[in-house]
Amino acid sequence: MQIRWYHSLTLRLLLLFWALLFAVASSGFLLAIWYAQPETAKPLPQEVQETLSPLLSDQVTFSSLTPGRLLAGNYRVAAAVTPEEGPNRLQLEPNLANTHRRELLRQLDADQPQQLRLPNGMLVGPFVLNTQRILLIRPLSEDERVDQQVNSERAEQAQTMVLLFGSLLIAVLLGIWLVLPLKRLISATREIAAGAEKLHLKRLPRRTDELGELARALETAAHDLKVSRDAQRRLLSDVSHELRSPLARMQVALMLSQDDENPDANPHLTQMSRDVDRLGTIIERILSLSRLENGLVKLDPQPVNTHELAKILAADLAYVDAKYGERVLVLDADWPTTATDDELLRLVIENLVRNALQYTAGIIELDCVRHDDKHFTILVRDHGDGVPEAQLAQLFEPFFRGDPSRHHKAGVGLGMALSLRAANVLGGSVTARNHPEGGLEVSVNLPIVPMDTIIDDEPTDTEAAEQEPQESN
Amino acid sequence: MTKLLLVDDDAELSSMLEQILTKEGYQLTLAPDGEIGLQRALSGSFDLILLDVMLPGIDGFQLLQRLRQQLRSTPVLMLTARGDDDDRVQGLELGADDYLPKPFNPRELVARVKALLRRTPNTSVRPEPLEYAGFHVNPLQNEVRCDEQLLELTPTEFDILRALVQGKGQVVSKDQLSVAALGRQLAPFDRSLDVHISNIRKKIEHNPERIQTVRGRGYRLLQLA
Repeated sequence: MQIRWYHSLTLRLLLLFWALLFAVASSGFLLAIWYAQPETAKPLPQEVQETLSPLLSDQVTFSSLTPGRLLAGNYRVAAAVTPEEGPNRLQLEPNLANTHRRELLRQLDADQPQQLRLPNGMLVGPFVLNTQRILLIRPLSEDERVDQQVNSERAEQAQTMVLLFGSLLIAVLLGIWLVLPLKRLISATREIAAGAEKLHLKRLPRRTDELGELARALETAAHDLKVSRDAQRRLLSDVSHELRSPLARMQVALMLSQDDENPDANPHLTQMSRDVDRLGTIIERILSLSRLENGLVKLDPQPVNTHELAKILAADLAYVDAKYGERVLVLDADWPTTATDDELLRLVIENLVRNALQYTAGIIELDCVRHDDKHFTILVRDHGDGVPEAQLAQLFEPFFRGDPSRHHKAGVGLGMALSLRAANVLGGSVTARNHPEGGLEVSVNLPIVPMDTIIDDEPTDTEAAEQEPQESN
Repeated sequence: MTKLLLVDDDAELSSMLEQILTKEGYQLTLAPDGEIGLQRALSGSFDLILLDVMLPGIDGFQLLQRLRQQLRSTPVLMLTARGDDDDRVQGLELGADDYLPKPFNPRELVARVKALLRRTPNTSVRPEPLEYAGFHVNPLQNEVRCDEQLLELTPTEFDILRALVQGKGQVVSKDQLSVAALGRQLAPFDRSLDVHISNIRKKIEHNPERIQTVRGRGYRLLQLA
C-alpha cells in the first residue's frame, strides 16, 4: 500500500519537531517576559520627598521645566505636562520616551508621588509646580544596579531551565514514540530469523506511516519465508523419496540374486550391497545437513544433563560394537545441565566420536570444561596422529577427508560438517586443534541455557510442543 | 497361513518383496494405492499390514488414521521413504506399531515382520488377568480397562501397558518394553517407545502421569493415592 504524503513519517516528524520546538521556545520567551517586567511603582519615601520639595519650590521662578534639564543633585527632568492646550502640552525625555513611554504616562497620572525603577534610572514623581506636573529621574545607585542585574540574570536562568527540561521532555517523548515501534520491529525480525510465521507486532501493521509499512513488509516477508521453507521441505522429501525408492529396489533385488544359503558367495554382489547401504547413508546425511542449514529442524529444548548424555552415548556406541565401548571414555568433570535439544546435541557429539573411532585406533576421551555461568565446552580428544595444521579448518567441510587413501574404509565424509551445523543451530560452534600431547581435540562450545526458558516440561510428549503455537494463533 | 497386506505404489518393489516374503512362508496381498489399500485392509482379515507413506490418493498417514478408527488390533509396520524423523514419529503417533526407513535391508524387514507377529499372544497358555494402579489387563480379550473404562489400544500399546502392569510399580527398562512390545531391542537414539507411551497417556482420562518417566532408565506405574 502506497503511503499518502500526509501520512508520511517525514512529515509527521517535521511537524512534531516543529510544534514541540515552538512550544519550548514560546514558553521560554513568555517566562523571559514575565521576569523582565519592570517593578511596580512604590510610594515615594518621606525623606526623599522632604529633600526634594525645597528644591522644587526654588524652581517656581522658572517659567517651565523642559525634559533633560538637570535639577539639583543628580535629578533630571524626565517628563513635564502643562494644563494648556498646545503642541508643547506633553514633553518627554526622548530616550525614555522611546523605551518606557507607557510607564512615563502612567506615572504622570498618579495621585501621589511614586518611585519606579527602570533599567536606566529611578523615576520619581509626579510633582506639581504651579501649572506643571513633572517626573524626575536619577541614575541608579550601585546597590540598585546590582539588584537589577540579579533580576535579569534570574530571567535568563529561568529561560535556560525551561529550554533544558522542555527539550529533555520532548526528547524522551520522541524517543519513546520512535523507539518502541522500532524495538518491536527488531524483535519481529528476530522472530522471523527463528522461523516464526506469526509476528508479535500488536497494532503496528495498522499504522499508516512508514513504520506501519515496514511492519507489513515484515509480515509479508515472514509469510514468504514460511512458504519457501515449506517448498524446500517438500523438495527435500521428494528428492529423498525419489532417490530412496530405487535404492530400496536395488537392495531387495540384490538380496533376491544372492544365494540364500551363502549370501557372501558372490563378492561383487556383496560389494554392491555395501555400496547401496553407503548411498543410503550419504543421502540421509546430505538431507540432514540440508535441513540443518536451511533451518528446517524443529528444536525441542528440554533440561539435558550433559554428563548423562555423554554416558548414554558411550553406552549406545558400546551396544553397536563392543570394541567401541572399550575405547570411549567419559571423564568426570563439571558437566552442566542446560536447556537444549538433546537429539541434536547427541548428533553433534556422536558424529565427532564416531569420526574419531573411525580414523584412529586408541582411546577417545570425552571431557567438559565449564567457563562461567553461560558457556561450556565439550572436548572430544583422540590419540591418533592428528591433522596437518593447514587442514584443520577444512575438517568441517562436507566430503573433506584428511587422507584420500582411506576413502573406502571410512565413512561418507559428512559427520564433522553435520556436527558443526547442528552445533550452530544450538547456538554454539565447533573448533579443532592438535593437542600438544598428540591427537586431535575437537571443542564443542555451547551456551548454558537456564531451565526457566522452557515452557513445556514434559520431555516425552513431542506433540504438546507442536500444538501449542497453533492454539495461540 | 499368515496373511500380510502390502500397501505400496512401487510395483516393482512390491513384487520383489512378494517373492521374499512368500519364500518366508507368508501370504502377501498387494494394494497399489491408498483407496484400494484401505478397502482391502478393512475387508480382509490380515495379520499384519505393511504401509508405505507416500501413496497416490490418500497417503499412508491418512490411511492409517482411518484404518485405526475401525481396526485397532492389526499391527501396522510403516515403510517410510522420507528421511524426516518427524515422519517416523507422526506415523507412530497415528497408531503404527513400528517403522522401517527405506532403503531397508530386506532381512531387516523379515525380522521386523516376524517380531511383530511373534508377540501376538499365544492362546494355548491361559494367562491370568493382571491388575495394578487402576489398570485391569485381560490378556484373553486383549483388553485393558483403566478405572473401569475400556482403553482402545493398538497391539503395541497393549503390550507396553501389559509389561508395565506386570512390573507392578518396578521400573521397566526401555529395552525390556521394546522387546515385549516390538519384538526387538531398541536401537540407539530410537524414540519410538516414548511416542507409544505418549499415545497411551493421551488415552487415559484421569491422571495419565501415573505412567511415570524415569529418566535414563525406563518407565514405571505409580499406585494412586
